[in-house]
Amino acid sequence: MTLQILLAISAILFAFGLAAALSRSNAIMIVIGIELMLGAANLNFIAFWRFSENPSDLAGILFVIFSIGVAAAEAAVGLAIIILVHRRIRSVEVDDASNLKG
Amino acid sequence: MVTDFLKTCCADPMKLIGEWFVILPALVLLLAAAAAVVMRNLIHAALLLTLSFIALGIVFIALGAEFVGFVQLLVYVGAVAMVIVFSILLTKPDQLTKSRNLLSGFAPAAGVAVAFTALAALLGFIFSSPLAKKPMPAPASAPVAAIGEALMGDYVIALIVLGILLTAALVGAAVIAMEDKP
Repeated sequence: MTLQILLAISAILFAFGLAAALSRSNAIMIVIGIELMLGAANLNFIAFWRFSENPSDLAGILFVIFSIGVAAAEAAVGLAIIILVHRRIRSVEVDDASNLKG
Repeated sequence: MVTDFLKTCCADPMKLIGEWFVILPALVLLLAAAAAVVMRNLIHAALLLTLSFIALGIVFIALGAEFVGFVQLLVYVGAVAMVIVFSILLTKPDQLTKSRNLLSGFAPAAGVAVAFTALAALLGFIFSSPLAKKPMPAPASAPVAAIGEALMGDYVIALIVLGILLTAALVGAAVIAMEDKP
């Protein structure tokens, strides 16, 4: 196995997440796409740590741990916003949340 | 011929098994992620997302980052997936057919096109880079004791900031989602 395979897997996963975040109109699917993109970034960090000359340098591992923590905070706030929007306009479709549209 | 294959294949069985421990969960990860992205039913999408998180955790463990793998399983499968399922249930999406899907109209098709352009660019860079052709070095491991010492030593400021961020996010999420007082 080479680093290329892991990077390609990560790139494909990132593309799936980007497609979901850009194309789906349901706000929850957008959050799911963002989580997939974050997972792809974490896989990249772990792959580069695994193939590094000096694996005892834990920067890659620690960055992934902090990234997972930030992703958890982002998911909690994002889904709370979705629940609030649903209470106001009775819909989670981003196309329906157009109150600020000129 | 078969013996040749077995000789090349089983000369270093641990190495072979180690590679498949990465490749198989990675395939599950990609298939589950693709299915989650195109799924119309939100609950199915959330469950497939959970499956892809589990597969990603197994990939981390197989690559030698056991601690990160278990953190991934605990935080994503245990917390994030459950929060997503709860918010699907709380928002009750009853107009499933109205929801815009992939490739149904101009804007979604443009989004998919952007994603695949980005994928083509990334793969082009990845497969033309000399850095990426390196063979896999000897199995590495990140001992939990070393991770703990790093978190409490060099990275302690970042750890404290992350704790403050999580507390603020928890309070903020509760305040945002709270019922308005009459």
